[in-house]
Amino acid sequence: MTLITKKLIKSLGIFLILFPFLFLLGLSFSTNWRFPSILPLEITPDNWLGLFSFSGNLFESFILSIVISVSVGLLSTFTGFLAGKYISETIIREKIIFLSYLPYTLSPVLYAASIYYYFVYFNLTGNIIGVIVGQILITFPFSINLFTGYWNSSIKNLENLVLTLGGTKLQSYLKVLIPISKRMLLIVFFQTFIISWFEYGLTTIIGVGKIQTLTIRVYQFINEANYYYAALSSCLLIIPPAFLLWFNKKYVFRKII
Amino acid sequence: MKKIISISLISLLSLIIFASCNKKVKEENISNLTWEKIVEKAKGSELTLMMWSGDPFINAYMNNYVIPEVKNKFGIILNISEGQGSKIVQILMAEKEAGKNKSELDMMWINGETFYQLRQIDALFGPFLEKLPNSELIDFNNPFIKYDFQQPIDGMECPWGNVQLAIIYDSLKVTDPPETMEELESFVKNNSGVFTIPTEFTGMTLLKSMLIAIAGGQEELNGDFDETKYNKYSAKLWEYINRIKPYFWKEGKTFPPTLAQTHQMFASGELYFTFSNNDSEVDNKVLLGLFPNTSRSYVLKTGTIQNSHYMGIVKNSSNKAAAMVVCNFLISPEAQLKKMNPEVWGDGTILDVNKLSDDYQNKFKNIPQRKYSLKRDSIQSKALMELAPEYMIRLYSDFRKYVIEK
Amino acid sequence: MKNKSQSFWLSLFFAVSVLPVVAGFVYALLYSFGLAGVYEIGFTLKNWAAILSSPEIINSFLFSFYIAVVSISIALFVALWFVINYGAHFDKGILSYVIYFPLSIPAIVAAFFIIQLLSKSGLISRIFFNLNLIDNINSFPDLVNDNLGIGIILAHTLLAIPFFIIFLLGLYHSQNLENLKQLSFTLGADKKQTTKRVLLPILLNKVYPTIILYFIFVLSSYEIPLLLGQQYPQMVSVFAVRKLQRFDLADIPQAYVIISVYVLIVIVSLFILFRKRKLEYDFDN
Repeated sequence: MTLITKKLIKSLGIFLILFPFLFLLGLSFSTNWRFPSILPLEITPDNWLGLFSFSGNLFESFILSIVISVSVGLLSTFTGFLAGKYISETIIREKIIFLSYLPYTLSPVLYAASIYYYFVYFNLTGNIIGVIVGQILITFPFSINLFTGYWNSSIKNLENLVLTLGGTKLQSYLKVLIPISKRMLLIVFFQTFIISWFEYGLTTIIGVGKIQTLTIRVYQFINEANYYYAALSSCLLIIPPAFLLWFNKKYVFRKII
Repeated sequence: MKKIISISLISLLSLIIFASCNKKVKEENISNLTWEKIVEKAKGSELTLMMWSGDPFINAYMNNYVIPEVKNKFGIILNISEGQGSKIVQILMAEKEAGKNKSELDMMWINGETFYQLRQIDALFGPFLEKLPNSELIDFNNPFIKYDFQQPIDGMECPWGNVQLAIIYDSLKVTDPPETMEELESFVKNNSGVFTIPTEFTGMTLLKSMLIAIAGGQEELNGDFDETKYNKYSAKLWEYINRIKPYFWKEGKTFPPTLAQTHQMFASGELYFTFSNNDSEVDNKVLLGLFPNTSRSYVLKTGTIQNSHYMGIVKNSSNKAAAMVVCNFLISPEAQLKKMNPEVWGDGTILDVNKLSDDYQNKFKNIPQRKYSLKRDSIQSKALMELAPEYMIRLYSDFRKYVIEK
Repeated sequence: MKNKSQSFWLSLFFAVSVLPVVAGFVYALLYSFGLAGVYEIGFTLKNWAAILSSPEIINSFLFSFYIAVVSISIALFVALWFVINYGAHFDKGILSYVIYFPLSIPAIVAAFFIIQLLSKSGLISRIFFNLNLIDNINSFPDLVNDNLGIGIILAHTLLAIPFFIIFLLGLYHSQNLENLKQLSFTLGADKKQTTKRVLLPILLNKVYPTIILYFIFVLSSYEIPLLLGQQYPQMVSVFAVRKLQRFDLADIPQAYVIISVYVLIVIVSLFILFRKRKLEYDFDN
């Protein structure tokens, strides 16, 4: 293979990977693009300009999704971090790890259907809190799963060292444990953020259609065959994770699955 | 281990107690209030309307007209959430089961079998219709409005619009559209792959129109659900569909689940026919640029179903006053007039136009004419009454059982 | 002190991660036996009998298995091929960044993209039409909502290939496969032998738990088959939700039968996966 063909193949590969993004972006900028036109008849910023308009109201969904996913990410990361430490010390550690796989391997929509009754009972349906709680039921075990493996003896020895040297528990966290775990905390945050950001099935059931996150909007637009808005909301869905990837590609990758 | 379990149980238990303390809602008898009091009470309420959101025109009517109007006029914040039929029933059933007395939903867009099921589980508030000042203008002499799938509405739901099922085709591709079941059979045999039946409300309404044709007319199936008759005629219907379905879209191995998808495939030319429960739909879809302007609509010689659609209020809604105010606005002459315009939605009114002021009578007469759809008067004689709701429920499940899964 | 915190966090774990699953499973079981729900009728086996006697549920599970097996096989094959042959090319340069991009695509967007690309009115069909490869829209083959689940498989493969490439690249580095490859060449093995005897066994052994988890993930998927699937047979999640939310109220208990069976299958497969395997998690890999 010559260098040129190699380069060509590589460029083709890059184009193929980027094609879905370009295509969706193009679709979000068109209004009249259908069979048999290969290219849109008209390119217009109208859809994007309508982002803030009343009927679109997509920007509201974007903010709502950010609020939900950041809350879910932060809550499950920090509780998972603390819980992981203690759980890694128990004798039933292996069993815990096994159990932690269950909630997030279950189909979210079926999991939600089976616990819907309890959510209704606790007034957790149709509101943001309920959706956050529901998503945490998936992301918290995920976070535990990662952190239980993370807490090993060398990190704990460091903690003991701080305590032996007269440091307080709080100091050991703030000055030592959190700083050295920064990378792991970021990984878990980004990954739980993304699980929440991509979530559709559980959110549609627990949110009773009232909590309109971006994924729900995409589905609605597809459902009413409004493909340009569906493309627009797809772009909004892709931007934050793509941004995180650009920020640091390593953080976004899910380790276990 | 035991300790852990007991701790989690205790925490769960305390959560339950906490939650149940929270749940007492003051019940106020709204039926005794005057309308002025109701309007006053409604001010500042935020309520949720669950409705089918599969049509851009309907969504635009709600989002760009109804929502701002009720906010300006009555200070009501109306939120719309997507859902219809059994999803609504399912949500309200689960709430009932969990003993919740403050529902997530306040009102919903329903008719027929959903109305029936909601009444079965006693989830509807009412009767409330007479409370609405504008209800006096409703055309209750029209049996298509007074009865919802053969059920008297009893003031438990508020009529909103009245429509008739129409078949839509492209006159450029189909010069002589099939007007009877026999003609349809020979048509699909000569043009395979371009006809299908969506497995949702509209498709089932078409099947029901066919069921009536097979039964030899409306009278045979009027009244309560009749299992024997249903079995007899539906067997013939399934036999007919199964006979011609190899010539359907995708050889009848699958069917489009939504009307929007069916419309899209019609627009792109993949299908030659689509359907609508709104007899003036062709106009608004041509205006939208979705359908070619050679699209036309028609009804079967044996007739198609005409029905009304309604707004219901949830029994456990904590915003009943606001829901009633919204209902009253939806049946106001101005909202009905706007809705009937084919450039807005094209939904038939449920008002008796003769009861309106001269001004409004004029306005209703001067609504821009339908350009592509049939005129209402010309299809009224082919309007069939809805059958009892069980027919619809059975058609849904039997179409799956005897056609899709065959 | 320590014990107290430990039991607190353990309880929290059980309350958040285990209790809801168990409670949900119990509820589904109760409902399926007619012991919960508005239409309570007392203990009955009729819902189980109705579901188990109809071919629907078996076909639904078989179809889901088929989709999962085919999607993952294709994705794994492609990913292995890339990593074994071109592993080094992903190390630096633009490709090492771009390969991460597909991870930002959610399932629902992947499904939407496949519709826009492969349906009869999609982009490829339009290109074919303009190249006169097809003379009308209906000559384009059925690739979405089709009998073979081609659309579903493609959407899953689209998501799984980059995932497995990245995963395998991680292993490629952590297991020092580049060095092993060179060593194997030095010892006189040819390319084929090296792949077959050295690289594949190491990679497959390490990737095996992930394959199983991804398998369950595809098996359970909802958005993709919801948009790209056909009416019958449907994948498990879509099938159960349809029973739950459509048409006949008497179908609801049957939905819970499906959910019960599904949860059991997932638990059993996880159990088999982890029964013998020592759980380990290597942070740097």
